[in-house]
Amino acid sequence: MDTILQSLLDLAGVTAALVFDGAGKLVAHRGHGVYDRPLCEQVSATLVKATDAVALQQRDWESLTAQFADGKLLLRNLGATGDGRSHVLALVADASLNPSFATVAVRVAATKLRKVLEGGPGSSATDLGGSRPPPAASSSQIPPPPAASSSQIPGDSRPVLANSGLSWSKISSVGLSRVAVADPAAGAFLTRCAKELARHVGPIAKVYVEEAVRRVSADAPFALAAAGPLLEDLANQIEDPDDRAKFRGALKNG
Amino acid sequence: MSDLALIAGLPEVRSAVLGDLAGGFYDAIKEPDGETVAAVMGFLATAVLQAGEHLGLGALRRAAVSGPTRAHLLVLHGTSVMTACVEPPASLASVEKALDAALTGRR
Repeated sequence: MDTILQSLLDLAGVTAALVFDGAGKLVAHRGHGVYDRPLCEQVSATLVKATDAVALQQRDWESLTAQFADGKLLLRNLGATGDGRSHVLALVADASLNPSFATVAVRVAATKLRKVLEGGPGSSATDLGGSRPPPAASSSQIPPPPAASSSQIPGDSRPVLANSGLSWSKISSVGLSRVAVADPAAGAFLTRCAKELARHVGPIAKVYVEEAVRRVSADAPFALAAAGPLLEDLANQIEDPDDRAKFRGALKNG
Repeated sequence: MSDLALIAGLPEVRSAVLGDLAGGFYDAIKEPDGETVAAVMGFLATAVLQAGEHLGLGALRRAAVSGPTRAHLLVLHGTSVMTACVEPPASLASVEKALDAALTGRR
């Protein structure tokens, strides 16, 4: 899913691309600059009100385009998946967006996203690359963080890897199998990050770590030189300030 | 001729409703349930407006909802929301263009 959203982000004028579900929960996002996860979560919660209202008037709606003074917002209805959950793709763009290119790109992306959401290749929860926990964790009972010995990789995650261009190197015992590292020390650091983060955000932690590594070390295998930026990036995923401070402290002192 | 009549006069426009961002209903042409349309579209416009504020996109000017058989075009003037039901949806672009031309000529 990250790869699909990234392809939209590469379009001139696009500043953010996100997918949210029918409950207004952010499933995945990619964005430039200020369009970070908290902002996208806030926007998702607002936009779901709009899509709910649209459905009242036009149940079979396919797209919503909003023209603002300084940009555009494009929504594409991805429909409901097998479990009954609906999803919407949203594209945020500035005034330089080419509407024709955007229309084609959004349609292509929507087709690919539907396949991922409906359980096509690479559709496991860890492949969604966003903030949605695995389906089993959707109830109030959240499973504990992955144990150190549970490094089993979902069998259907490899097709997505093949398309993502990310290298496949098993680096840790918490399932961080989709990031490349410069040396074993860097891998051990990522493992510690995932374990510590899991105390505060639950099992989605390893997905957050993978995403953060891609952000801070996009062009090269992750090395300890990028530990500082990674730590800050991960700390921003924790909402509670006290928990955030504990997370920082644990990793700096550890 | 009012803006609402202008929109409703376009051949591809099946009906038109004038309301506001609070969901209030002012007028309707060829729409029997204008109150409901005004309420829903007022709510929709407000939600999109809020999302735009979060994203720093500035003032909302218009929005279009499209489906396989029809489309809805929302045009905002201050706190007023004009909604046009367009059939077929492929005519949405031409309605927007006609509306732009008409409104520009009136200003």
